Amino acid sequence: MKPQTVEKKYMPEMPPKEVEELNTTIKEASLKIIADNIARMKKTSPNRPEAMQYYDEISNFFGKRAEEIQEEKKKGKKVIGYFCMFAPIELILAADAIPVRVSSGWYDTSKLGDRIVPVEICPVIRSTIGAKMIGLSPFMEMSDALISTLTCDGMTKLSEIMSDTMQVMTMSPPRVKDSKQSLHLWNEEIKAIKTQIEQLTGNKITPKKLRAAIETMQKATKAFRRLQDLRKGSPVIMGRDAMLVNQTSTWDNIQRWTEKTEALCDELEKRKAQKQWACPPETPRVVVTGTPMFWPDNWKMPTLIEEATPQGVLVADEMCSSDRLLYDPVGIDEWTMDDMINAIAERYLMASTCPCFTSKDGNEDRINWLITKIKEYKADGVIYYVVRGCMLYAMEYSRVKKVLDKLNIPVYYLDTEYTREDVGQMKTRVEAFLEMLTARVEY
Amino acid sequence: MFVAGIDMGIQTIKIVVLKDGAVAGRAKAHSGFEPTKAAEQALAEALKTAGATRADVALVFATGSGMEMAPDANGTVSMMGADAKAGVHLYPDARTIIDVGAEEARAVRCDERGIMMDFVVNERCAAGAGTFIEAMARALEVKLEDMGPLSLKAERASPINASCVIFGESDVVTLIHRQESKPEIARAVFDAMADRVSSMVHRLGVNPQVVLVGGVAKDVGFVESLKRKLGTNVLIPEYPEYAGALGAALIAQGKAKGAKPQ
Repeated sequence: MKPQTVEKKYMPEMPPKEVEELNTTIKEASLKIIADNIARMKKTSPNRPEAMQYYDEISNFFGKRAEEIQEEKKKGKKVIGYFCMFAPIELILAADAIPVRVSSGWYDTSKLGDRIVPVEICPVIRSTIGAKMIGLSPFMEMSDALISTLTCDGMTKLSEIMSDTMQVMTMSPPRVKDSKQSLHLWNEEIKAIKTQIEQLTGNKITPKKLRAAIETMQKATKAFRRLQDLRKGSPVIMGRDAMLVNQTSTWDNIQRWTEKTEALCDELEKRKAQKQWACPPETPRVVVTGTPMFWPDNWKMPTLIEEATPQGVLVADEMCSSDRLLYDPVGIDEWTMDDMINAIAERYLMASTCPCFTSKDGNEDRINWLITKIKEYKADGVIYYVVRGCMLYAMEYSRVKKVLDKLNIPVYYLDTEYTREDVGQMKTRVEAFLEMLTARVEY
Repeated sequence: MFVAGIDMGIQTIKIVVLKDGAVAGRAKAHSGFEPTKAAEQALAEALKTAGATRADVALVFATGSGMEMAPDANGTVSMMGADAKAGVHLYPDARTIIDVGAEEARAVRCDERGIMMDFVVNERCAAGAGTFIEAMARALEVKLEDMGPLSLKAERASPINASCVIFGESDVVTLIHRQESKPEIARAVFDAMADRVSSMVHRLGVNPQVVLVGGVAKDVGFVESLKRKLGTNVLIPEYPEYAGALGAALIAQGKAKGAKPQ
């Protein structure tokens, strides 16, 4: 078959040699960063749960998991990449395809993205473009298609840019959740993506298969919630470790991930019974909210919190890259096809606290969820994390701050970039914030 | 009992030595390329004034952006924590402390114990800090210390935008080409800085009394502009640039006495 030549709308032509060189350099740097992150996590937590070893291995984008997916592909399985957590995983699994999240956390590739979009654009977007330009992400490169949800402006245009190089299936969520027409639109979007997934994979999504997929994800949710519940008391696991566990669920084999996470929770429960804490129980408890943070490079915020003097512990977050991922199960009344589709549509729309939504009360769901988290996890303070160019999260800050001020919960706004250069400055601020929390706790 | 506080600032190192809770010695040094060495010398100088030796000092606490390079410090405290402590020590009714240094401006809200309750720092840019005045003085061909008195002679204000030192400089050049007078341009520089700083303070809420510390507090031009922008009086201690070091020394003193550390 002759390769199709389609005129590219955005992507530049790059000499193959340059692509290869950049790919090699950045991949090598990335492997170092992955190893370094894990080493630092181990150092912070000398009696780190043994079960973490599994996630360390899965965290390597260029390792075992990539090889497994490659093998599955050889057997004819399709891989579907996605960015936002609106992509209905149950439908992908029911079509016997492999879901992988491909939003980029690589700092170095954001500079490549600058060749196409201005530096003012959110670095998650720029970095994802850059990763595609040099074929850095094995998961993205193995994807037969991408599901891109048009949540923020960045994601909307990213879909267009990506479609230069691969098949992109878009989903358009309504900006208001609680109206009849919104749920109707979203239901139609779910049905449309179902058809597209069936066409891509050549597999029909039968009620039986869909039920099995929903049940698989419900089990994953159960394990996920068990882990988050364990973080409510004195710390049995450091926040960075929990974040890694949560995030690996977006590219791991979900059944195996569920088993491993149940085993991790067993270990953590034993530690809890023996009062074997991951850090002193009086360590200031921090909740992070804002822009998602992606492995491996964009791990600086949780690293700063947990390596700071005085130390803090990340007990929970309100981010679509971690604690929000598997929290909500698909709730089924009757196992009919219609009912299952409706339930999936509802789970992905109504449970989301993404700042792309508004209502007559604004994004009330996010505020309520954040307050619930703060109370349930007995947080001493909140860090509001935003990457420059992430407009929706940045704009919601003043409202969140007002609410938290009323509750007398200290909140600190920290904005940053996909760069290592501002770590010193961020450290000063994070440490001052933790010092303030410590002083509040002590007096 | 002697204690000391070291403020390892970006441009200047400041030392305060306390004897039984009262300031007994102060010293300053240029940070330069060997800040640890510079701090050692300044500490020796301050101790000499205080009539003490290093062995007499019970505890040394460090603060400032280079606090990790402080010689033999027993502990560290954030710049914001030190400002709050010093501000309330100097003015018991102070609840907002503004600190404008060479490269950073910050504001702290604190309680009656001098414990910080909230803080804001300028966004990774020196446009609200001392370096900005330096750059603008250069563009105006005026000595740094003359900028303040010059600005007080201005009859009106011409707005410029202090979003960035570099762009600010080109704004100043535009004003020069428009043949605005030097006093008016100098005032524009301080107004722009004060705009940035006051919007930071407004994010915390302007809780009187407001205290201004840091090296830039010595610049009358900035102080006038800030008072105007905040619409409130601003208290300035006798040695505003030593506030961070004083705060660190006070925390060292509290700790030496066995009080809970901040």
